[in-house]
Amino acid sequence: MANVLLIEPDAVLARTYIQALQHVGHIVSYAACAQDAILAADEAKPDIVVLELRMAVHDGIEFLYEFRSYPEWQHVPVVVNSHIAPSNLEPVRTALQDDLGVVALLYKPKVSLQQLISQVNGQVALP
Amino acid sequence: MQGDSATTSQETTQLLRSVAEQLKMPLSTIARQAELGQLTGDVSLTDLSAIRTHASAALTLVDCYLLGLQLIREQALLPLEPVSVSSLLVETAHELQAFAKQYDTTLELHIAGKYEPVMAHHAGLKSALLSLGYALLESYPVQQRGRMSLAVHRTPNGIVTGLYGDFEQLSSKAWRTALELQGKAPRPFESLSGNGAGLFVAEAILQAMDTKLRVGKHRKQQGLATTLQPSQQLSFV
Repeated sequence: MANVLLIEPDAVLARTYIQALQHVGHIVSYAACAQDAILAADEAKPDIVVLELRMAVHDGIEFLYEFRSYPEWQHVPVVVNSHIAPSNLEPVRTALQDDLGVVALLYKPKVSLQQLISQVNGQVALP
Repeated sequence: MQGDSATTSQETTQLLRSVAEQLKMPLSTIARQAELGQLTGDVSLTDLSAIRTHASAALTLVDCYLLGLQLIREQALLPLEPVSVSSLLVETAHELQAFAKQYDTTLELHIAGKYEPVMAHHAGLKSALLSLGYALLESYPVQQRGRMSLAVHRTPNGIVTGLYGDFEQLSSKAWRTALELQGKAPRPFESLSGNGAGLFVAEAILQAMDTKLRVGKHRKQQGLATTLQPSQQLSFV
């Protein structure tokens, strides 16, 4: 069981992910935008973050820069689960993985709930 | 002529890219919802209403895109006829209600007073408003959710109809920039989470009715609307 912070701008998809993650025993807190996500992280003390990069006003990368600027969140694993196609993420892949500590880049249309759960479980099980 | 054809091809390509990107949202929702019941072993968790409304939204976007594409390609104008804007708004609101509910938004219909028929293409105007509605509802900033209006009001320039909400950052400049960036940038509208494909599809259809979308206000809400001309013919009757 882990504290998962889900950052997902689409309310309907968010409900689906929350139900799936809760079903396998995780505690899920939720934010729909980058501003709320920082507050939610402060409150929930997440063990892992699942993040959509495409958000209104401040995007996921902006969120990550702020998130990583706090010492307590520098080692929290972040799984990106985005509608942005992998080819379009190429220019920022190095920054995401090396500088911002993204542990997995998932392409939302192709990733099932089971695959997302496996990623989350795998990351929180790591020592 | 070659220049015109190149522009048309560029326009249609950009519109297609926007629509393809936008379609990922309803299709992902349908796929994940269908999976949820299977995963949990509790089929009642699968929200059939979400699947139905998102499938309708996707199909409407495809239909509207095809109409927009045809109009751009043929550089055609839709034939205008007297249309009752009030009844068209009632029909449109009826189709958008379930989708609005999925996004915790109440869609209000504001038709104050009586309006004479406007010169429009019934199916074209309805497609444009539906396309606009789905796009705005899906991208509505979470903090502002709660209420959106499908409305009509009269101005000295004509009868204005559109969708309004608490889109504080929506300005004429932002809309012009978005039109330039559509199909090129992942988020032409900084203040919306989606790529707004439906807005550009609506604009393409409205242009074929010799009108366009403009940023406007209605009862302190900000939105996108179009100005239609009253039918002179029926005014005399």
